Amino acid sequence: MSSPRLASLLAERRLLVVAGTGGVGKTTIAAALAIEAARRRQRVLVLTIDPAHRLYDALNLDRADHEMPGEARPVSAAAAAQFGIVEPGRLDALMLDMKSTFDGLVDRFAESDEAKARILENPIYQHVSNTLAGSTEYAAMEKLCELAEAGRYDLIVLDTPPSQHALDFLDAPRRLVEFLDSRLVRLLVHPAMAAGRFGFRFFQRTGQRVLQSLERISGVGFVRDISDFLRAIEGMSDGFRNRATRVRALLLGDDSAFLLVAAPSPEAADTSLEFLARMQSTGVPVEGVLLNRMRLWPQGEAPASILSETIATADLQALTHALASGRDALPAPIARQAAESAVEQAKRYAWLVELDQRSTSPLREQAERNRQLVRCIPEFPQDACDANGLLRIGDALFRAAPEADPGAATGSNGGQLHAE
Amino acid sequence: MPAEPLPPLLERRLIIVTGKGGTGKTTIATALGVAAARRGHSVLLAEMGGQEQIPQRVHPGHPPVGNAACELLPRLTTIHIDPFEALAEYLGLQTHLRGVVDLFMRNRGVSQLLEAAPGWRELITLGKLWHLAQMEDGEGRRLYELIVVDAPATGHGMTFLDVPRVVGSAVRAGPLRVHARRVEEFLRDPDQTLLLPVSLAEELPARETVELVRRAQTGIGMAVDRVIANAVAPDPFPAPVPADLEQRLRCLGDDVKLGELPTASVLAECGAYLRARYALNASCLEQLRQDCGQPLVTLPYRPGQLAGADALDAFAQPLFALSEAG
Repeated sequence: MSSPRLASLLAERRLLVVAGTGGVGKTTIAAALAIEAARRRQRVLVLTIDPAHRLYDALNLDRADHEMPGEARPVSAAAAAQFGIVEPGRLDALMLDMKSTFDGLVDRFAESDEAKARILENPIYQHVSNTLAGSTEYAAMEKLCELAEAGRYDLIVLDTPPSQHALDFLDAPRRLVEFLDSRLVRLLVHPAMAAGRFGFRFFQRTGQRVLQSLERISGVGFVRDISDFLRAIEGMSDGFRNRATRVRALLLGDDSAFLLVAAPSPEAADTSLEFLARMQSTGVPVEGVLLNRMRLWPQGEAPASILSETIATADLQALTHALASGRDALPAPIARQAAESAVEQAKRYAWLVELDQRSTSPLREQAERNRQLVRCIPEFPQDACDANGLLRIGDALFRAAPEADPGAATGSNGGQLHAE
Repeated sequence: MPAEPLPPLLERRLIIVTGKGGTGKTTIATALGVAAARRGHSVLLAEMGGQEQIPQRVHPGHPPVGNAACELLPRLTTIHIDPFEALAEYLGLQTHLRGVVDLFMRNRGVSQLLEAAPGWRELITLGKLWHLAQMEDGEGRRLYELIVVDAPATGHGMTFLDVPRVVGSAVRAGPLRVHARRVEEFLRDPDQTLLLPVSLAEELPARETVELVRRAQTGIGMAVDRVIANAVAPDPFPAPVPADLEQRLRCLGDDVKLGELPTASVLAECGAYLRARYALNASCLEQLRQDCGQPLVTLPYRPGQLAGADALDAFAQPLFALSEAG
């Protein structure tokens, strides 16, 4: 049984946002989803705003690509062949570079060349655009909007930054608009006018004192630099505002779907549950929960007996006997030890399977209540981060048949847990 | 695994525990804090952002403590740093106008500006840590001899630590520059501050940790003297169990009657999984050992979440290795 709903998301939506807390494998899953869509003959871009180079590693893009950030790069012909991508399908990857995205923004929206130069040379701008935490989200929004509107892709898969920051990211457009509209910005840009126009009593009385203190604390020139910076970008603010509104519409619109990636470690499962609740409450269109790295029992469900404290001596003897007989038989003492460790490891594995089921059950139940799809991706013993690993994830998500692949069976044991 | 001799850990003033999400940073930071306090140090355990976790790790079921410092054990205090609260406090101290600052902070325009402005949260949080490190009791002794920080996940963690340098260079003169420089110097002083990276014995976390160590040492200029590999699983099939056990089990097939036990092929799959994971972990540990150029401390895999002072203390022991092991 494949997942028709997940497949239809790939086919029908134009933007898939892969969200989740840190360390759950968002980047890998984003890459696997993008590969799957490209295999289905779509033109796909996978965009990461994670500061690490993981997506490029996952897609086996070569070193030279690391040195040309900020541009969408097609995967190599060899990689495309390995992934089974054929025309008109294509897969591009883009690792976002803050600085060039911000500079591009200034380039497009600055009122004049003189204004542009003033912004680019402003020390506050240089640091905001290049280094400081938080600017990532603005830049990502901007690039996303640009690429979505250019219409070169049938589908964009967006890999979001980890944890708490992912919600900042969803909030970025709103905050940007509010910031540009804020009275404080106006006050800093046109102090006299703002005070006059708004009759801003607070600032006339106490605010001026605080601003003077701020100037004293922050040092000569700092508040002036901020003020200069804000004045310089003021001319751009309509462009910003327009963009921010459109990005929000794009993210929350009918063409987008959010997928929450979660992992079964207790910490990750708890944080994911909280994350899901927060996404729901902000009106984010979450379509599904992908449980990554689930340890699943090889056939059906783990028998309760394997989890019990004692293993029947007769059963252990039967296994020892089997290993100590026939062609290439093990010597009896070694067969005994081998049987014991085989059973012990099966027990250990059964326990891991049980743990993963327990830690993810509140999340699965919540998603089912929300009528979101839930899919399990088994933890593969090999590392997921090569071409085969990415293809295996696609298989688990799109081609797992309970008969053929017991590892992704239905019921409490994984696979499509939420029947449509 | 033979214990490697490690430089003393607890002589530092500030230990910043960082790593990729899901590596167990919070557990390690908490365990380190508990172990240090039990060795007689007065310790502050600081966390930031998101949900408060530390009090509940030390005392399962502990009510939330919020932003106020709270004593969890003798000599062990915890704090969850809220940047807005820390900013109000800082401005109050600087301007001696706490009432006015509170009004200012509550202003809608100001809160919008703060919501949008990047960088200040990091700076104020680090400034607060610096301030806490300088605090003294009534008799001129350090209030906290050691501060252990559960820092944000790697990518943002590095940005977090770089903010004072950036601000110090963006601001030309005045108290803000002085403060940023002071925090930066504190972070870069190897006698005072240590970055403690936490990795897993898995490919992506290992690769990211190597990158983190490189950036910490060359970019930000912070000291790293050991790297932690957390949740390392033991060898599932130590000798003399034959290396082809799974193959033998598969050959037995499902016809052999094993009573209550799973079939031989299921036993083979479970074994194969654990053996493959073990091999992968071993190669990642080797990569960490070679590419970080630091002693590697391995901590064993433990199912479930570690909680309670005794369990945390025991868990932290390998972090000290030979030099300090009591």
